[in-house]
Parts: sequence; C-alpha cells; structure tokens
Amino acid sequence: MDPRLKSPSRLARLRRDLFGTPLDGAITIALLAALGAGAQALLNWALSRADWAVIQANSTLLAVGRYPMAQQWRLWLLTGLLCSATGASWGLLRRRSWPRNDRIAAGLLLAMALVVPAALELGLDVRARWWAIAGLLLLARWAAGRWSHRLPLICQKLWPLAWPGLYVLGLGLIGGGLGLQPVRTSQWGGLLLTLIEASFAIVLCFPLGIALALGRRSELPLLRWGSTIYIEFIRGAPLITLLFLGQNILGFLLPGGLAPDRVWRAAWVLTFFAAAYVAEAVRAGLTALPRGQVEAARSLGLNSLQTVLHVVLPQALRVALPATVGQFITLLQDTTLLSLIGLLDLLGTARAIMANPDFLGRNAEVYLVLAVLFWCCCAALGLGCRALEHRLNRHSSTASR
Amino acid sequence: MTQVSPLQAKDREPRAVMIEARNVEKWYPNGYHALRGVDLTVHQGEVVVIMGPSGSGKSTFLRTFNGLEEFQSGSIVIDGMALGNDLRQIGAVRREVGMVFQQFNLFPHLTVLDNLTLAPTLVRGRSKAQVQHQALELLERVGIHEQAHKYPGQLSGGQQQRVAIARSLCMEPRLMLFDEPTSALDPEMVQEVLLVMLELARGGMTMVVVTHELRFARQVADRVVLMAEGEVVEIAPPEQFFNTPQHPRSKQFLSQIS
Repeated sequence: MDPRLKSPSRLARLRRDLFGTPLDGAITIALLAALGAGAQALLNWALSRADWAVIQANSTLLAVGRYPMAQQWRLWLLTGLLCSATGASWGLLRRRSWPRNDRIAAGLLLAMALVVPAALELGLDVRARWWAIAGLLLLARWAAGRWSHRLPLICQKLWPLAWPGLYVLGLGLIGGGLGLQPVRTSQWGGLLLTLIEASFAIVLCFPLGIALALGRRSELPLLRWGSTIYIEFIRGAPLITLLFLGQNILGFLLPGGLAPDRVWRAAWVLTFFAAAYVAEAVRAGLTALPRGQVEAARSLGLNSLQTVLHVVLPQALRVALPATVGQFITLLQDTTLLSLIGLLDLLGTARAIMANPDFLGRNAEVYLVLAVLFWCCCAALGLGCRALEHRLNRHSSTASR
Repeated sequence: MTQVSPLQAKDREPRAVMIEARNVEKWYPNGYHALRGVDLTVHQGEVVVIMGPSGSGKSTFLRTFNGLEEFQSGSIVIDGMALGNDLRQIGAVRREVGMVFQQFNLFPHLTVLDNLTLAPTLVRGRSKAQVQHQALELLERVGIHEQAHKYPGQLSGGQQQRVAIARSLCMEPRLMLFDEPTSALDPEMVQEVLLVMLELARGGMTMVVVTHELRFARQVADRVVLMAEGEVVEIAPPEQFFNTPQHPRSKQFLSQIS
C-alpha cells in the first residue's frame, strides 16, 4: 500500500485538525479555555450552590401532574408497553447487528435507569420499576433482532400498524373507561400532558397536512381555494392567538364529543396549526416531483388515487420528511404555550412549583431540568425520524438521477 | 430487416385500424396553436415514425393518443374507443396503450421488478406472483433480468429505458407510443434500446415512434410522417421519403439533419 494513502494516527490527525496553523492553535486554545470555564462554572453551581430538593420533592408532579396516585400503575404499564414496542421496532430495524451507536444508546439507557431514580431519591420499589422498564426495552430490542427472521414477513410488514393501536390503547389507559376508573383531563399534567398534546397533534396533523397539500394543488377550484385560504390564514396568525380563539369557539365548531374541554380544544388547535405548516412542507415535496412521474403512472392506466398513493406520495413525503420532522419538533416545543391558557403542562407545572413558597428562588434548577427534558424528547423524535429517513432513502444510496 | 412495404400490406386482408385521428386541433392555454388540423391513420401491426423539427408538434400529437394532452377539436379513435372528455374512456385507452418517454420516468422508489408489476396488479387486478413471473420473462427479453431487484437509479440510461419499455409491455398493450426514446441517452447506449424496439416491431407490435434516428426510420418504419408547424407535411414509405421527398418542407428538413 502506498504510504501516502495510509491514514494518519488519530493523535496526528487531531493535531493537524486543531493545531494546523498558529492561528488555528490560538483559536483552539481560546475555545477550550472558554468551554472549560463554562463547564466548571456550571458544575460548580450544580454541585454546590444549586439545591435539587425542589426537583426531588416535585418529580411526580413534573412527570404526571395531579394524576391520582392510586391510578398511576396505568401509566407505568403504558410506559412499559411503549418501551417494549420501541425496543421491538428498534430490533426489527437492526436485526442481529449491534452497531456502535446502538451499544452507546443501550449504555446510556442503562446508566439513566440507574442514575436518575437514585438522584431523585425515589423509593426502592419505584427504582425497580425504572430498571424493569429499561430492561424491557433492551430485552425487546435483543429478542426482536434475534428472532425477527423467524417471523413471517407479513408480521414484520404489519408491525408498524401496532403503533396506532397502542396509541389508542394508551389514551384509554390514561383517561380510563371500559371498566377503568375515569381520570378527568384536568388531572393530567406535567410531562404526561405535554406528551399527550404533542403526540395527538403530531399524529393527526400529518394526514391533515398531506390532505391540505394535495388540496392546494387540486384541479377542483373550490378545494384549491379552500385549502389555500386555510393554510394562509393559519400561517398568518400567532399560535397563542389561535389557542385563545380555539378555547372560545372550538366548542361549537367541532362536534360535541371531540372538544369537550380545554385540554382537547388545545390539542385540536395545535393539530390544525401544525397541519398548515406540514402542508407547506409536503407541498414542497410535491413540487419537487418531476411531471413525468405522474404522466408515466397515468399512461400505465393508474387512476388519480392510485397515482397519488403509489407514485406521488411515496416520493414527495421522502423529500418533505426533514422539514416535517422539524415541524414536529417545533410543535413539541410550542406546547409550552399551553401554560399561558392555564393548562398545567410541563411549563405550567414548573411555574406552579416555582410559585410554591417552599421553593422560592429555585427557578434555575427547575428551568434546567425542563430544558433537559425537552431536549431528550426532541432528540428522541429526531433520532427516530433520522432512522426512518435512512431506511426510506435506501433506493437513492447509489442513485445517479 | 423488416421489408413490409405498404403495397404488400395492402395486398393482404385489410388490417384493423388502430389509430384514427381526424382534423385534430390543439391550442395551449397561452394561445399557441400547437396542432392545426392533423390527420393520421395507423393500422394494426404498422410502425409509423413521426419526424420533424423541434416545436413542430410531433410530441404533442403523440401525447394526444393516450390522453396526456387534450385537444380542442377533431376526433381521435384508438382501437375503436373515442378519446374525449369521458375519464373512464381515457382510462380504458391507457390500459391498451403503452408509452415510453424520453426521460424514462421510471419510479425511483420501486425496484425494477416492482416498476413492472405495479400497474398490472393495480389496474388489471392480477395476482402478484403471476405478474412477477411475466415481468421476469420480459426483463429477460430486454436483457436485464439480473437487475430485477436493483433500483432504477443504479442502472445506466440505456438499461433504464429498456426497463421502461418492459414496464409498458407488462400491461400487454395493443399499441406502443415512443416519445423520443433515445434522445436522452449517451450515444453508446442508443443502439441497445433501438434493438429492443426493432425486436418489438418484428413481433408485430403496432408502434408510433417520435425520433430523430434516421437509420431506425429507414429500417423499421412502414411509413414516415413529417410534421412542421403543427401540420402533417408528408406521409410516405421510408425509401420514398428519404430518397425522393415530395414536399419542399421535407427536402429542407432532410438537408438540415443529414
């Protein structure tokens, strides 16, 4: 092998990248110093000056709000189910291989399951639940990867359909009914409420956005104008305005059972709001599709619906996916506005905690935890979507045109 | 080479009319008069090559045959079915008419095999296994069955165009339209596509081909149609068209391209 082609050692490469010229070296040193100072200050604050009692005392409130203690087993059960399903999907995606990223993720999960409950000074029984759930996730990941090849192909293909079913089951478990004691929406709060609102809006705004994007490009004038007016109206109004408006008018705009109270009205407003933005992302995907694709499909005899389902959308959504995921992440963060209309979402709960005279002046701790929680949720969403994107784009890995 | 002269063809029993276009007029929405009263009759088993300078309306005319372009007056009857505003009728015509495009227009998100099986399973409601069997045979016929599980983006231009031809054939069409099938190809790939088309013509397929390939027109066409400025200028057998063109516009066109 030509020695010039040999890759330099890691140390040599690092030295070349960071200290290539005197200026590079100066910048590197300055940045390292700044980073070090920042990290030291943060650590110093977190370990000596911060008082984490506010988080320890309110961890349940932050997680689920005023959800009745006696019914919390339902949430643990749901978390267990969700984690098993996540593990199974993960395993089906990766089969038997454990690439380095997966090993890091598994290690982080285990570390979190050990450290977080201990840091919160939870009781031993609750800690055991954390361990069980983390174990369940990794076990499902391992089992699905190990034995997926034994499953009939049809089961693997239909597996994603388990998620909507699980979602409906989850709402049933949280809200009660069918023999379970009902838990009113006013008792939902904290991270639980944030996740319910965000996931409801994400799940529904996606098909609605696709429909709006197709409507905006439809040949039927009424449909086209209607979609355009809707999208432009929603995009022209701030979300907070729409949230207040929705609380007042959604009660009689939507059929009675759909928006019975403030929580569901807010969820619908978030859905309708995000749908307009998703529609624009999807429209960009539709515009990027060469006209010849539709012509080829039509000349093969496919009707309009078949053309859209089998040729247009599979390609357009691939293009629209990154922008759409960005929209989902924004949506998750936008749920903090719910605290302004009086709902006790994560931010609303946090403000309630900070208003408690026992924990005066502990805002920094609460806000930091909030930021980390949101970061974790968004990172999970982004990671999942990147995996999906990677999988969908297999065909273009060596594409030339 | 096929040497079926129109005279010989007429000696045999009269063949069914596949395309009957009468006085077709088309205006684009911007007012451009693309087709100015065009007539053409194509019989079953005939290979008709349409030539002409760019902007002469030849592609537009071809695309009216399967309803990809609307026309404002005149009539087009394909295999006994009149093309009009009836959407179901257009669907019925498209099931019987295959089309090959300049830009291939394969579906990039589907494998080669799925490109072939999509329409027969969806439109004709045939079983996937049965269609796959036929699709693999067709791919073998066009010489790319090893690539059946690749994606279009992994194939060369010539291979993609052969897949596109096989995709149309998988619908078992009675008529094939080719819209400049070799114009987007690198020169060394033109021949492999023309060979497939030649085989198809020999098999008795009715074909209307818009192309600039003189050799193909000379060797394969039963008749050559020259269009200019939205009108049919001359229709003649290839020897006559290339050796003794009648119309001054034909002479001008031939002198420009040779």
